[in-house]
Amino acid sequence: MTPESCFSTFYQFSVTGYVSLHREKRKGKKQGALRKNTLREILRTKSRFIAIFAIIGISVGFFSGLKSSAPSMLATALQYFDDTKLMDINVISTIGFSEEDIEELHELSYVEQVMPAYFADLIVTKDNVDTVARVYSIPETTKTNHSVLNQPVLKEGRFPKGEGECVIEKYFLGMSGYHLGDTIEFNKAVEGKDTLSCIRHLSYKIVGVVDSPLYLTYLRGNTIIGDGTIAFYMMIPPEEFAFERYTMVYLRTEASHEAFNDLTQAYKDKVNDEKEQLEAFSQKCIERFNTTTLAEAQKELADARKEYEEKKAETLQKLKDGAKELQDGVQQYYEKTGEGRQQLEDGEKELQDGREKLAKGQAEYKKGMEEARQQLTDAQKQYDDGLAQYNAGKLEYDTRIDAAEKQLAAAQNEFNLQYQVFYTSTKPQAETKLSLLKLTIDLYSRGIITAEERLAKLKKEPFSERVQEEIRQLEEELAETRQKTAEYQKQYDDGMKQLADGEAQIKAAQQQLADAQLQLQTQKAEGAAKLSEAKNKLDQAEGQLTAGRTKYEAAMSEGMMELQEAQAKLLEGEAKLAAGQAELKEQTLQGQLAMKEGREKLANGRYEAHVQLGEAEEALHDAQQKIDSLANAKWMIYDRNDNPGYTGLEEDADRVDSIAQVFPVFFLLIAALVCFTTMARMVEERRTETGTLKALGYSNFSIAAKYLIYGGTAALAGSIAGAVAGEATLPFIIVSTYGIMYSLPPTILSIEWSSLILASVSGIMCICIVSFMAVYKDLKLAPAVLMRPKAPKPGKRILLEYITPVWKHLRFTSKVTARNLFRYKARFFMTVVGVAGCTAMMVAALGLRDSITSIADLQFRQLTKYDQVYALSKAGTTDQKAYLMSQFHADDRFENSLLAYMDWASIEKDKNGRNMQVRILFGDNREQFEQMFVLRDRTSHADVPLTDDGLVLTERVGEVLKLSVGDTVVLTLENERYSCKVTGFTENYAGSTGYMTPAYYEKITGKSPKYALVFTRTAEAHKSEEKEMANDLMKNEDIITVTSITDQVDTMMDMVKSLDFIVFVMIFCAGMLAVVVLYNLTNINIAERVREIATIKVLGFYSLETANFIYRESIVLTVIGGLCGLGLGNIFANFIVEAIQMDNVMFPKIISFWSYVIGFVLTIVFSLLVNFIMYFKMNRISMVESLKSIE
Amino acid sequence: MQKDFVKFENVYKRYKMGEVTITAADGVNFSIDEGEFAVVVGLSGAGKTTVLNILGGIDSCDEGRILVGGKDISHLGKRDLASYRRYDIGFVFQFYNLVPNLTAKENVELATQICRESLDAEMVLDSVGLSERKNNFPSQLSGGEQQRVSIARALAKKPKLLLCDEPTGALDYNTGKSILKLLQNKCREDGMTVVLITHNSAITPMANRVISMRSGKVVSNVVNPSPKPVEEIEW
Repeated sequence: MTPESCFSTFYQFSVTGYVSLHREKRKGKKQGALRKNTLREILRTKSRFIAIFAIIGISVGFFSGLKSSAPSMLATALQYFDDTKLMDINVISTIGFSEEDIEELHELSYVEQVMPAYFADLIVTKDNVDTVARVYSIPETTKTNHSVLNQPVLKEGRFPKGEGECVIEKYFLGMSGYHLGDTIEFNKAVEGKDTLSCIRHLSYKIVGVVDSPLYLTYLRGNTIIGDGTIAFYMMIPPEEFAFERYTMVYLRTEASHEAFNDLTQAYKDKVNDEKEQLEAFSQKCIERFNTTTLAEAQKELADARKEYEEKKAETLQKLKDGAKELQDGVQQYYEKTGEGRQQLEDGEKELQDGREKLAKGQAEYKKGMEEARQQLTDAQKQYDDGLAQYNAGKLEYDTRIDAAEKQLAAAQNEFNLQYQVFYTSTKPQAETKLSLLKLTIDLYSRGIITAEERLAKLKKEPFSERVQEEIRQLEEELAETRQKTAEYQKQYDDGMKQLADGEAQIKAAQQQLADAQLQLQTQKAEGAAKLSEAKNKLDQAEGQLTAGRTKYEAAMSEGMMELQEAQAKLLEGEAKLAAGQAELKEQTLQGQLAMKEGREKLANGRYEAHVQLGEAEEALHDAQQKIDSLANAKWMIYDRNDNPGYTGLEEDADRVDSIAQVFPVFFLLIAALVCFTTMARMVEERRTETGTLKALGYSNFSIAAKYLIYGGTAALAGSIAGAVAGEATLPFIIVSTYGIMYSLPPTILSIEWSSLILASVSGIMCICIVSFMAVYKDLKLAPAVLMRPKAPKPGKRILLEYITPVWKHLRFTSKVTARNLFRYKARFFMTVVGVAGCTAMMVAALGLRDSITSIADLQFRQLTKYDQVYALSKAGTTDQKAYLMSQFHADDRFENSLLAYMDWASIEKDKNGRNMQVRILFGDNREQFEQMFVLRDRTSHADVPLTDDGLVLTERVGEVLKLSVGDTVVLTLENERYSCKVTGFTENYAGSTGYMTPAYYEKITGKSPKYALVFTRTAEAHKSEEKEMANDLMKNEDIITVTSITDQVDTMMDMVKSLDFIVFVMIFCAGMLAVVVLYNLTNINIAERVREIATIKVLGFYSLETANFIYRESIVLTVIGGLCGLGLGNIFANFIVEAIQMDNVMFPKIISFWSYVIGFVLTIVFSLLVNFIMYFKMNRISMVESLKSIE
Repeated sequence: MQKDFVKFENVYKRYKMGEVTITAADGVNFSIDEGEFAVVVGLSGAGKTTVLNILGGIDSCDEGRILVGGKDISHLGKRDLASYRRYDIGFVFQFYNLVPNLTAKENVELATQICRESLDAEMVLDSVGLSERKNNFPSQLSGGEQQRVSIARALAKKPKLLLCDEPTGALDYNTGKSILKLLQNKCREDGMTVVLITHNSAITPMANRVISMRSGKVVSNVVNPSPKPVEEIEW
C-alpha cells in the first residue's frame, strides 16, 4: 500500500469514522469503528505487527522451551523408573540374606515389594586386558513373595534360557568389541577368591542386550577389586550364582507412592526415614545370624582347632623318631667305609712307589739307549764322512790323471805332426830352397868375378865412351848383383838358421814331451798310493762301526726285557688295587643309597606332615577370618541417589535450567526495548489520528486501547506461536542430546506451565505497558496540537562539531552520519543495547564452548600429566612392587612412572553439610609425583605446596563444600573417619581429588599406605605404542588393569558434548534475535526518514548511495553494539559457567580470541543481512508519494 | 536558444486505485523553448504535478515521448533516470524538503557533492540572499528562507531545467512574491529554463509561456511575448 493511498485511506477513514462514529454512537456500538480501525492497522502495518509477533515469539518460545527441558528430562526419567519399577532402597549385607531375612523384610510396614538378588564383581579378560564386571542376577520371580524390580529393558536378543548364558549392558557392548553371541571369559580367581565360588561357570555366552534402570549414565561405579572401577554390568539367571545366601535385597517402599515426585525433598525425606528404620531392623537380622549361624560356625571351628592341635603333636613326635633312626644308620655307615678306605689307600701308596721306580728305570734305560744310539750315529757319520771324502778324492784323482793323460796324448800327437811336417816337408823344402839359393849365390859370385874381370879389363882399355858406358853399365850391374847376392846370402843364412831352430825346437818339444810323460808317471804312482792308504783306513772304521752296532743292539734288547718285566708287575698291582676300590665303592654306594632313602623318607614325612598341618591351619585361619568378617556384619543401605549417575541427572537438569534462567530473561528485556521503540514510532505516525479521535470526543482509554490491542494481539499471537514452537522443539532436542549420555526412553514432554504463562504474560504485559507509555505522552496533549503535524526533530549541532579539528576532517557523509546518530539518541541506545545483547549471547555461547573444550587440554596436558594408569593387585608385597617399579623405570618407553596410592573417600565439612566423593591420591616418590601432578593456583599459577600437615583439595571441592584454607574436614577413608586439615586448593577441572603426602597419610591413619596404582607418562616417541605397552605389561600377573588417559578424555568429552548443543541453540536464538532487533530498528529508521530518503533520491542519489546514507548509521551502531557486546559477553559467559558447574567438573573461564571474532563477525553478518533485506524496501520508496505532502 | 527544448508527445499516465483507474495524464502534448519561464496552471487534480513529476524523472509515463534537450527520457531505466535527475534537473518543492538534520549550507552541499560541475554552496546561498543564515538548521529558518535554501540547492547543481512544484504554496503573499522574483531573475539573468506549476492563474502574466491543463489534458499553450515583472503582479 502506497503512502498516498494510506493517506487517502486515512482521510476516508477519518471522514467515515466521523460519520460512523455518530451513527454508531447512536446505536451504542461506538467501539466498532475503532475495532475496525485497529484491525485495519494490523493489516496495513503487517511488517511491524510481525516484528512484535516474532520478537515476543522468540523470547517466549526460547524461555518456555528451555524451561520445560529440565522438567521433561526428569519426567522422562521418572516415567522410566516407574515403568521399570526402580527400587527405592537397596541393601547389601556383608553376610548376605537368608530366606528368613527376606520374609521379615517383607513384613515391614513401609516395605511394599522385595526382591532378593545376587551380585558379584568379577574380572573378565579380553585381549590380555582385565576389566571388572559387575554380575547381577536377572530380576525374576523365584518365590511368590519376591517381586521383580529394576526390570531391565531388553534391547536386542533374548534373556538367557539355558546354562552359561548371559545378557550384557548395551552401553558397554557398543564400545568393548563384544558382540551378541560372543562369550565372556572370567578369570579363574579374583584377588585370591575363586570365581567359581561366586558363579557356576567361567564363561557365558551373550544372548541379549539390556539397559538397566539402575544405570542411567555411562558411570558404572566403583568396586574394591581391580582398578576400582566397574567397566560394565551383565546379568545371569539367579540359579547361576553359587552363593548360599542372597547378597543383596532391593526394596520398593511406600515412598514410591509418590513416584512422580521422587526427586522432591518429600521423597528424599521419606526414603531417609525408611533407611533409618531399616538400619534398626538390620540389627535384628544380624543378631539372629550371630546367634545361629555364626555361633555354630564358631563352635565348629573351636572343635576343629582342638583336633588339629592333637594331630599336630602326634605327627611331630613321629617325625622326631624317624630322624633319630636315620642318624644311627649314618653313623654306622661312616665307620665301616672308613676301614676299607685305609687299606686301599696303603695299596695305592705301594703301587705308587712301584710306578715311580718303573718310571725311573724307564727313564734311565731310555737315556742310556739314547746315548749309545748317539755314539753309534756319530761313528756312522764319521765313517760316512770319510767314505765320502775318499770317494771325492778318488774321483778327483781319476779326473786329474785322465785329464793329464789326455793332454799328454794331445801334445804327443801335435808333436808327432810337427815332427812329421818338419822332416817330411819343411826341412826338405827349406833345404831345396837353400840349395837353390846356394846355386844362385854361386852363379852371382861367378858373374861378379867375370864382371870384375871385364871391368878391370875395360879399365885398362883406353878410355872411350863406349868403354865408359860399358864400365858404368858393368858397375851398375855389379852393384846390383852384389846387392842381390848379399840378399840371397842373407836369405840363405836365415833359412839355414831357421832350419836349425826348427830342428832345435823339435828336439826341445821332444824333450818336453818326454818330461811330461815322466811327470805323469810319477803323479799317477803317488795318487794311487794315497788312495789305497785311505781305503785301508776306511775299511778299518767300517769294521769298528759294525762291531759297535752289534753291541748296542744287544744292550737294548736286554734293557727292554728288564723294563717289561717291571711293568707287568706294576699292572698286576694296579689291577689288585682297582678291584679293591671297586669293592669299596660298591659298599659306599649301597650305604649312601640306604642313607638317602632314609633321609628322603624322613623329609617326605616331614613335608607331608607340614603340608597337612599347614592346610589344616590355613583352613582354620580362613574359617577364623570368615567368622571374624561375619562377626562384624553390617548392612549397607543405599537409595537411588547412590546409583551411579543418578544425581547427575538432577544436576544436568539444574544446569539446563540455569541457562534457561539467564538468557530468556535477557531476551525478554531486549524484546521490551524493541517493542517500545516500535510502538512509540507507531504512536507518532498516528499522531494526527490520535488528535482527530480526541477532537471527536473519544476517551483516552478508547484511543489507547487501539495500541494496547495492537501490541497485545501481536504479543499474544507471538506468545502462543512461540510457546508452541518452543515447547515442541527445545525440550526434545535438549533431552535427546542429553540422551546420548543417559540411557533413557523417548522424551516425554512436561510443560512447565508456570514459566510458559509467566513468559507469555510478561511479554504481553510488557507490550501493553510500553504501548501505553508511548501513547500516554500524546494523550496528554490538546487535540489541536496533535492534529498539527509534529515538527520534525530539529537538527542540532553535536558535541563533535565543536571539536573543530576532528569535525573539519570528517567527510560530508560522515558528518551527516555523526549528526544523525546523535539526533535519535533513543534509537542509538536501543540499537546498541540490542546488538550488544545479541553479540554478548553469541560470545557467551561460544565462550561456554571454549570453556568446555579447553578442559581436556588444561586438565590432561597441564595439570595431570599422566597417560596411563596401571592398577596393581593390592596383595603384592613391598618388594614385589619395588621390583615391578624397577621394570617400569627400566622401560624407556615410559618417560616417567609413579607408584601411587589412590582410594575413594567421602569428604564433608561438618556432619550435616554436603559430602563429596573425592579420590585421595599420593605417590611414593615426591619428585615423580610433582612431575606428574601439578598443584598450582588457578589465577597466579603459583605452586600450592604439599606438606605433611594436611590435604590439598581440588578447587571445586573447596567451592562446593565452602571450604577455605585452614579448615578441618572429615574424611571417610577405608571405612574410617579421619579429621584432616586443608592446606590449600589446586587448580583442577575434571574430577575431585585430595592430594596428600604419604607421611600425612600415615599420620592420620596410623597405617602404612597400600600402593596399588602406577601412573605412567609415555615417552613422546612411543605415544602410538600405548596399546602394545599395556599388553606387554599386562602379562605381569601383578598388573590387573590398564586405563588410558585417552579413554578418560573421551569419556569427559562425551560428558560435556551435550552442552555443545545448547551452545548451538543459544547462538541460533541470539542470531534470530539479532536479526529481528536490527530489522525492526532499521525499519523504524527508514520509516521515520522516508521523506529524507525520497528527497535525496530526487536529488539524483543512486540506489546504493541512498542505501549507504542510511546504512552508514546502522553499521556504526552495529559495530558499537558489537564491541559493547564483547565485554558483556565475557560477563555473561562467566555467569553461565558459574551456573552450570558440576560438582566434580569445573569449567575454566576462558574465551578464546576467535570466539570474540566469530561473535562479532556473526553480528556484523546479521546486520548486513538485515541491511540487504532493507535495500529492497528502500528501493521501493516512491519519491512521488513521499514528497506529496506533510502528513 | 533551442526551440522545443522540452517536448511532451502524447504522454499518458494512469494510476490504479484498487478497482478504479485514474488517468492523470491523458495524452499530454506541449513544448517549451530553452530559457523560457513556463507556468503550468490548472486546478487540483488537473494532472500538472504528474506532468512535472514525469518531466523531473521521479515518475514515469505509461505512453508517449518526453524529449528534454533532444533526449528521450520516457524510456530511461532507474539508474539513468537517477543520472538524469542528478545532472539535468533541479527540483523545488512546495514543502521545501530540506534534510532537517543538515544546515542550510549542508543541504546545498548534499546536492553539490554528487554533481560533476556544481556551484559553490556558499556562493549560491549568497545569490539567493541567505549569506547570513547559511549555518542555520532548517528549523531555525522561516518558510521563505527554507524555500530559498531549496532553490539554492536546486540551482547549485547547475541543472538544465528548474522544476518548481507550487513553490509559493506554503508561503505568505510577500514571501511568495520574493521567491517568484528570485526564480524570474534566475531565468532572466542566467537563462535558466524554469517550469513552474501552480493553481494560481494570477501569476501567469510573469511567464513566457503559459500551459493550462484540465483533467489531464493540455487545454492551451500560450506564449506571452511580454511577461510582466513579478512586482507588477497582484493577486
